Amino acid sequence: MSEAPLLEARDLRKTYHLGKVGVPVLRGADFRMKRGEWVAILGSSGSGKSTLLHLLGLLDEPDADSGGVWFEGAPVAGLRGAARNRYRNLSVGFVFQFYHLLPELTVLENAMLPCSVARGLVAPGGADEVAHRRTRELLDAFGMSHRLAHRPRELSGGERQRVAIARALANEPRVLLADEPTGNLDAKTGGEILDMIAKLHGKGLSIAMVTHDPAVAARADRVVRLTDGRVDG
Amino acid sequence: MYPAQLANRYLTSRIIPLIAVGAVALCVALVVIVVSVMSGFLNMLKSSGRTLMGDVVINYPVRGLPWYDELIAEIGKLPEAEAATPLIDTYGLVRMPYPPGADKEVVTANVWGIEPRGFERVTDFSRSLYWKPPKDEAAAASMAPDDPRRVLAPQIEADGRSLRQFGTDIPGLVMGIHVSIVNERMRDGSYRTRSGWFMPDQRVTLTLVPISGKGTVAEPTERIFPVVNEFRSGVYQIDKNRVLIPLEEAQRMLRLDEGLQYDLDAPPNADGSQPVLGKSPARVHRVLVRAKPGVTPATLRDAVQDAYARFAMAAAADPAKVVKPPRPEVVSILTWEQHLRDLIGPVEKEREMMRILFSIVYLVCAGLVLSIFWAIVQEKSRDIGILRSIGASRPGVLWIFLQYGLVIGATGGVVGIGLGWLVIDNINAIHETIGEDAPRWTWILAFVLSVGALVMSLRGAHRGALLPTLLWLVGGVTMGLAGAGLLAHRGTLIWDPAVYYFSTIPNKVDWFTAALTWVGAVVFSVLGASVPAAKAADIDPVRALRYE
Repeated sequence: MSEAPLLEARDLRKTYHLGKVGVPVLRGADFRMKRGEWVAILGSSGSGKSTLLHLLGLLDEPDADSGGVWFEGAPVAGLRGAARNRYRNLSVGFVFQFYHLLPELTVLENAMLPCSVARGLVAPGGADEVAHRRTRELLDAFGMSHRLAHRPRELSGGERQRVAIARALANEPRVLLADEPTGNLDAKTGGEILDMIAKLHGKGLSIAMVTHDPAVAARADRVVRLTDGRVDG
Repeated sequence: MYPAQLANRYLTSRIIPLIAVGAVALCVALVVIVVSVMSGFLNMLKSSGRTLMGDVVINYPVRGLPWYDELIAEIGKLPEAEAATPLIDTYGLVRMPYPPGADKEVVTANVWGIEPRGFERVTDFSRSLYWKPPKDEAAAASMAPDDPRRVLAPQIEADGRSLRQFGTDIPGLVMGIHVSIVNERMRDGSYRTRSGWFMPDQRVTLTLVPISGKGTVAEPTERIFPVVNEFRSGVYQIDKNRVLIPLEEAQRMLRLDEGLQYDLDAPPNADGSQPVLGKSPARVHRVLVRAKPGVTPATLRDAVQDAYARFAMAAAADPAKVVKPPRPEVVSILTWEQHLRDLIGPVEKEREMMRILFSIVYLVCAGLVLSIFWAIVQEKSRDIGILRSIGASRPGVLWIFLQYGLVIGATGGVVGIGLGWLVIDNINAIHETIGEDAPRWTWILAFVLSVGALVMSLRGAHRGALLPTLLWLVGGVTMGLAGAGLLAHRGTLIWDPAVYYFSTIPNKVDWFTAALTWVGAVVFSVLGASVPAAKAADIDPVRALRYE
C-alpha cells in the first residue's frame, strides 16, 4: 500500500454568493500532494486557485455538498474552534501575494507572531526562547538579520516577502501554502524569492504554490491546472 | 501574550487612541468637577445647618413655650444631649444709620433672641463672628494691609460673644455681614467697609411686633441697639437676613417675658385692677439641643420627644402652674435636617438629577469609545484576517480590543481625574477670572494669532493646497471669534451667592466619586470596546484578506 498523501482534497466545491446569484468557483476539484513535493497550481485569474488554497489551509469553508480535505490521511475540513486554529497555526504556513505583515510590529515580531499565537492567551510573555532562536535563524538565512527592528513600511517588496515566508515557517509547518508569492514583485526579485523557496524545498519542505504564470509554475516538481473549477492533470 | 503586544502597539503608534483617551478624560473630568462641587455644596449646607441650629429643634412658634427652663433642665438629664438653649425667632425691621440725613434705610430681618452662653454651647456661634483682631503674627501677616481687622481691639470679639457693649453694658446686637450694605466682599473673601461705615461703631433701631395669645398684633416696640459685631455663617441667606439680640430683650419687646396672669373674667378689685391668677412665665419659640459626640440627631430627637412628654405631663399635674405648656402632639420636635428640609431637599433633588444626567455622560463616553473602536476595527480588519490565518483564536482577537478599551478607559480616567482636580483646586480663582473683564493681552494675542493664521491660509490658497488652506482658515476664524468674545467679555457672575447660599464654591475633590468615576470609565470603555471587539472576532479571514 502506498503512503497516504500529505495533503488531499476530493470533490471540493465552493460557490460565492453575490446577492441572490450564486457564482460557482470550484466544481468538484481534486488535489493531492505527497510529502516533500512542490506542486504548482496554475490557473488564470478568477479560476478559483486561491480559493482552493484557502480551503486546503482551512481559511474558508467549502459548500455543504462538497467533498473534504485530508491532512496526513486525517479528515480536517470539519475541524472547528481550537483544533482548526491549531491546524492553521502549526500544520500549514501561508504566504500571500501582498505579504500581509502587521505594520505596527517589527520584522522580528512579525516573523515570531505564529509562535506567540501558539503559546495561547494564558502564557506570559511572547514566544519562548527556542522559537525566538529559530525565527532569528530563519531571518538570518533569508538575509534579513540587519532588518530585525525595522517596520514593514521600511522594507522593499522582496524583503517583505522574505519576512512573510519566515513567518509562515516559524512554527515549522509540514506544508507551505503560497498564494502568488511573486505576483507583486518585479521579475528579478520574484526570481530571488523563487530561488529561496526552491532552497527550502531542497531541504525537504512540501510546498503548494498558486500562480497564474507558467514560468513560475515551471519551477515546481509538478504542475496542475485549474480550469472551470476543476483540476486537470 | 500576543494580544497584549498588539494592543500595546495599536495604542502607542497611532493618534486615534489619543483621541479616545481625550474623550474619556473629558467625560471623567466633567463628572468629577460637577459631582465634587455638588457634594461639597451639600456638605457645606449640612454642616452649616448644624452649626446654625444644633442637632434637634423644639419648635412652638408665635405663642411660645412656657417653663422652658424646666424643659431645658429635663433635657439636661438626657445622656444623649450635650446642651440646650432657648431661642426667640421673629421678624422685625432694622433702621440703619445710613445714609446721612433723615431718610435712613430700613431692612427687614429675621431676629433671633439668644442666651449667648447657651447658644454658644449648642452652635459654636462665636466662630462665625467676623470682626476679630488677628490671633497672632502669622494670621496678621496673611491679612491684606488695608484689612480693617488688623487694627481691632480684642474687646470687639468679647462684645460679640456676650451681646453686650463693653463699658456701657448696654445690650448689643450682632448682625449678619450682609444685612447692611456697607460691607464689601473682596476677592480673598475678606471685607472692607464702604465710605468708613464700620457697623460695630454704629447703632441701629430695631422694631418688633408683639403678637398676643389670641393672634392679634399689638403695638410695635422699638429699641436702639449698639451693633457690637457682625457674623458670617457662610450661608448667604442667613448672613443677609439674621440679627441676634439678647434673649431677655427679645422677650421684653415681644411681651413674652415673665409677668402676672390676671383673671379677666373676675370682678375687678377695689383699686380697679383685675385679680391675679398667678405668674405668667417667660416664653420662647424654640429650644435648640446639641447632641453628645457620637449621638445621631435622630436618636437625640427621639430622646428629646420623650423628655418633652415627661416635662409636659409634670407641668400639667403641677397646680402651681396656671399656664400649661402645649401638649406634645402640637409641638414640632425635629432634627435640624428635617427642620431645614426646604433648604436641603431641593439640593438633594438636584444631586439626584445630576446622577441621572451623568449616567448619560457615561453613555456618551461608551458611545465615543464604541465609535472610535469601530473605526479602528474597520481599519484593522486586514490585520485581524492575518492573525486568524496564522491560527489566532476568536477570544485572542476579542482580547486585543478589550484590552485596548481597558487601557483607554483606565488612562483616560486617570487623566480626567487629574484634569478635574486641577479645575476643582482652582475653581474659585477660575470663577474670579471669569468674573472679570478679559485682560487686554488675551484678546490682542487672539487677534494676532488670528491674523497669522489667515495669512497662512492665504499662502496655502496661493500654493493651491486645499487642506492647509482650510485648516488655517478655521484656526484663524476661531481665534478671531475668541478674540472678539474676549474683547466683549464683561465679567459674568456664575456662582451668585444669593442663589447658591455660599459665598465661595466648594473646592475639594470628592475622591470617592472620583474613584467611582474611574471605575465607571473603565467599565464603559470596555463595554464600548466590546461591540467592535466582537465584530473583529467574527471577521472572516478570507474576506478580510481577499481585497487589497
